Amino acid sequence: MAEKPIQGEKRVFMTGNEVVAWGALAAQADIMYGYPITPQNEIMHYWSRLAPKHGKKFLQTEDEISAGFTTIGGTIIGARAFTGTSGPGNTLMQEPMSMAEMYRVPAVFIIQQRGGPSTATVIYSQQEVTLTTFGGNGEGYRIVYSTATHQELFDYTIKAFNTAWKHRFPTFVLADGYQAKMREPLTIYDPEAKGIEMVPTVPTLGKEGVPGVDRPPVHMTNTRNTEEELYEVVKGLQAAYEEMWPEVEEHEAVECEDAEIIIVCHGVVTRSARVAVSQLREAGIKAGYFRPITLRPFPVEPMKQSIKGAKQLLMVESAQGQLARLVKDSIYGSTIPIEPMFRPGIGISSEEIVEKVQSLIK
Amino acid sequence: MAKLVKIALAGEGGQGVQSVAGILVDAAYDEGKEALYIPNFGVEQRGGVSIAFCQISDERIGAPKFEKADIVIALSDRAVRRCAQYAGPETVFLYDASITGIEDDLPGPPVKVLGIPALKVAKDELHPRVFNVVILGATIKATGVMTLDQVKKALEKKLGYKFEQNPELRELNYKALERGAELIGAVL
Repeated sequence: MAEKPIQGEKRVFMTGNEVVAWGALAAQADIMYGYPITPQNEIMHYWSRLAPKHGKKFLQTEDEISAGFTTIGGTIIGARAFTGTSGPGNTLMQEPMSMAEMYRVPAVFIIQQRGGPSTATVIYSQQEVTLTTFGGNGEGYRIVYSTATHQELFDYTIKAFNTAWKHRFPTFVLADGYQAKMREPLTIYDPEAKGIEMVPTVPTLGKEGVPGVDRPPVHMTNTRNTEEELYEVVKGLQAAYEEMWPEVEEHEAVECEDAEIIIVCHGVVTRSARVAVSQLREAGIKAGYFRPITLRPFPVEPMKQSIKGAKQLLMVESAQGQLARLVKDSIYGSTIPIEPMFRPGIGISSEEIVEKVQSLIK
Repeated sequence: MAKLVKIALAGEGGQGVQSVAGILVDAAYDEGKEALYIPNFGVEQRGGVSIAFCQISDERIGAPKFEKADIVIALSDRAVRRCAQYAGPETVFLYDASITGIEDDLPGPPVKVLGIPALKVAKDELHPRVFNVVILGATIKATGVMTLDQVKKALEKKLGYKFEQNPELRELNYKALERGAELIGAVL
């Protein structure tokens, strides 16, 4: 076994794409499959530079459809495999992602959101929320973590592999072009040194022994012949998804207890909300923020609890209401007014949030 | 020094603003500060306005981009036009004095607008290739976030292997850094 890529822990200053490559390495990922697209490219660049030194592999495929399917293939034979993509690549990859839901394949996908629709910008957005949570045909049996800082990007890249392999649903780390390209300090570490044990991987196909003689044969199919048969399969997936839901859902609620106005956001926008809330509190305004970390499964009960005393919600996202749709569905029945602050494809500063809250309070 | 310093560096793709930003935040990080740097450009390989948003602080930094910068440094006509939006009442707006045709595009009072002859100094006194290092020196001086010595260390880290091969390059870069700082000292 090769020497550990990170001994203990180490303070570093790097881009988010580099952070993901180091996170996957720390998580003992075996292989990355990928096809280049900005702003995700450097995950591949760093991984393909780091991987050979640590006995890991990389395969560049002919497109994103193939990158998705090869990731599934690798995962099925028991490799801790992942891929990364963005924007139009995320659109193309929906078919393999959907297959991973049907087969319960614990593949890991890193998404660096760029602007949309179509080619749009290579810079930034939060417009891939709907696509990443519910993009495939089917019911969205996926786990989606939305990160805000480089530290979280590292932590959740490691965690994504464990959540995937423990619960056997495809797992996503949803970041964005800002997180991909910006540099900030963080601490990278060997998971073991933090008491994090990597969930062992097991092959689904290609197990030891002769099928039918030494062990039962494995039959994988994503095809169903009758409506009733499919109904049973989907209900089974639904039951498994609901069972893991409370264990997997995560959120962050800050200063919500006595807050009159609660900012609802996710991902990198949380950074602006954090600064805004502290400035608003200093000015004597009772503001807080609620942020789902898992966009799927959505932290429904924690959100209901956190907002129950609020007089108003301010929904802030770099998309035209993609998070808002998830939220409204989750808090159905709540009569707290919702004020939208939708900025599709553009960054949101703390100053803008402060200004908006002040205008609402008046 | 203020707790948080926000810098927007902008120029034509290829002018080296991203390299300058990289060295700047590296130096800050090495000094134990919180630093955040995000490049911003379009899909083009060359040309187009390239902006580097940098923030240096003693505390954890919020959003990667900001509304108004403490210091804007614009190195081309298009960069001047693009970056006027980042200038507020507290902003120092620096531009290269050789840029023409932007008189009507420069932000008005209360923004402090200053032209510095960085390109001229690089060309006439040093070497055109160290233009971005002159800018780095000017940025350091204008923000006061670090000392020139601290930035020299970061330069050494980034270019040390080249300096080893040709010690004159070290001299040239250090000189460029100092001249950049002097240009600011003269106008601020």
